[in-house]
Amino acid sequence: MIQNQTYLNVADNSGAKQIMCVRILKPGNAKYAHIGDIIVGVVKEALPNMPVKKSDVVRAVIVRTKKMLRRPDGMHIRFDDNAAILINQDNNPRGTRVFGPIARELRDKNFTKIISLAIEVI
Amino acid sequence: MRLEKCYICSSTVYPGHGIEFVRNDAKVFRFCRSKCRKTFHMKRNPRYLRWTKAYRKSHGKEMAIDSTFEFERKRQRIQRYDRELVGRTIQAIQKVDAVRMKREKDYYKNRMKQANKQVQKTAVRELEKGISLIEPDILRMNEAVKARETVQQGVAMVERDQLSGSN
Repeated sequence: MIQNQTYLNVADNSGAKQIMCVRILKPGNAKYAHIGDIIVGVVKEALPNMPVKKSDVVRAVIVRTKKMLRRPDGMHIRFDDNAAILINQDNNPRGTRVFGPIARELRDKNFTKIISLAIEVI
Repeated sequence: MRLEKCYICSSTVYPGHGIEFVRNDAKVFRFCRSKCRKTFHMKRNPRYLRWTKAYRKSHGKEMAIDSTFEFERKRQRIQRYDRELVGRTIQAIQKVDAVRMKREKDYYKNRMKQANKQVQKTAVRELEKGISLIEPDILRMNEAVKARETVQQGVAMVERDQLSGSN
C-alpha cells in the first residue's frame, strides 16, 4: 500500500537511496500502489557523484511492500521494507544491479529485465 | 502442493493458510497463524517457548533423534514420475509412520516412568516434613472412631437387654 508521501528504499545502483511517492500511474484516481505498479517519485536521498541527484523527479516500479501480497494459490507474502527500482520511459531499469529479493509478480507485468538482474526472485 | 512447516511452532501450514515473511536477505519464514508471526516479530526464540515443537525437542520432552525422521526430508534431486514408485512410497510412508508412532509411545512411557519416580519421591519428602501438621488430626480422628464404636456397642447391649427382658 504505497500512497503519496510514502518513502521507499531504492533497490538498485542508480544512485538514489530513498524516494518519496508523489503520483501513482494507474488508470483512474488510484489511491494505493502495490507490487508491480509504476509511480512517480522525488529523490529524497542520493549518493554523491551519480547521475541521479536529490530532488530529481523519477519514475519507479515497486518491487517489495510491507503490506502483504496475495497470490492466487492463497499464499500471503510480506517483505521487510517498501522498495522500488528506478526505470526510464521504456520501463527498463536505470541502474545495472538489483538488490534484495524481488516478487515474481513483476514478470507478469513485463519487467523481465529487472527479474533477470535480481539475485533472488520470490 | 507442498505442505510447509511453521517456523515457530513446526505445525503444518496448509495451502491458503498463514503468511510468508521474506527478509531482505531473501530468507523465507512461514507462519501458520498470527500468533506465530507476532512471536517472530517480537524476536522471540522458539527454543525458549514452551508451546513450540523446538522447545519440546530441545528439552527432551519428545523424541528428537531417530532414524524415522531421516525419511521426511527435502530432496534436491528431481525424480522422474513413476506410478509404481509412488505406490510403493505411500506404502512405505505408512510403515515408517507406524514405527515412528510406536517409538514415540515408548519414549513417552520411559519418560513418564522417570517422572513418576520423582513425583513419588517429592510426595514422601513432603509427608515426612509435614507429618506434625496432620498428626493431631489423625489422633483426633482415631479417638472419634473409637468413641463411635463404644457408643454403638453400648446401644447394642441395651437393645439386647431389652429384648431379653421382654421375653
